[in-house]
Amino acid sequence: MKLEEVIEKAELKALTNVEAKDVEGVFISDMLSDVMTGAEAGNLWLTVQTHTNIVSAANLVDLAAVVITSGKKLPQATIDLANRYHVVILSTPLKAFELAAKLVGIGLKA
Amino acid sequence: MQEAKCEWEMVNVRYGFVITEQCSDTKQVISYFSEDEPPLEEYRDGDHFWNVMETAQSIRFDLQCKECGKEETFDELMGLMMCTGCIEDCEVNRLMIELEAERTWVYVAFGFLPVDEKQQLSKEKIAILEDYFNQRRKSSTSRIKIVSHDMIKNYATCYAEVIRDLDLLSLTPPDKSE
Repeated sequence: MKLEEVIEKAELKALTNVEAKDVEGVFISDMLSDVMTGAEAGNLWLTVQTHTNIVSAANLVDLAAVVITSGKKLPQATIDLANRYHVVILSTPLKAFELAAKLVGIGLKA
Repeated sequence: MQEAKCEWEMVNVRYGFVITEQCSDTKQVISYFSEDEPPLEEYRDGDHFWNVMETAQSIRFDLQCKECGKEETFDELMGLMMCTGCIEDCEVNRLMIELEAERTWVYVAFGFLPVDEKQQLSKEKIAILEDYFNQRRKSSTSRIKIVSHDMIKNYATCYAEVIRDLDLLSLTPPDKSE
């Protein structure tokens, strides 16, 4: 599914520039080491982490986008770094479980 | 006949801690990976009195070729960090600027401390690590370039983004007015 389609259907808010990417699967974790070992290229990563090094982790494994859940605020430093490295960061007021259910509902699979 | 390139996968993943300690007497700093909980109190080892400065949850892994079964260990790897271009005349920054237009992102692989006493990653292993992460990118239009820490101009002032589970939790509560 195209990232723009996911953003529209799941009502996600773009906090950075949006790149044209294909979303393949969803990964949920708040541990960067988990992302390094378990996330796959094209995954949508759901997390509450907002530190600048989420950009580093997301970029390393080529995720489609990072979604900050539970309405957490993203520091400007993270936004700036993400834009420089073409990492898309989105946000939602929903908790991870609620968003996951919504993503399944719009057709995304694990 | 040209040797086939390996297709790598991550195996033998072990979860633990990267522990950084300082000797209260000599001020020497060391780091190591441990699958056990980090020590809570100062302990003596020979002439040193070690105190924990910081711990980060981390992983240790090996890479194995899916085709031939060849395995490479990465026990010397403490972590990876992404160059952010903090020092203008740093070789890593220069490389990042050079490769940025083609969407190749520069990461630094670094080993445990002290650098001159602990075995550091060889060029061959860094190349394998780079291959692995690029193979994971499937049909991506971007790539990863991994370099050794000895390219960094000044390690002490480097602001590269380390991939580690430390000090990550956001302290900003959600805005209830939205």
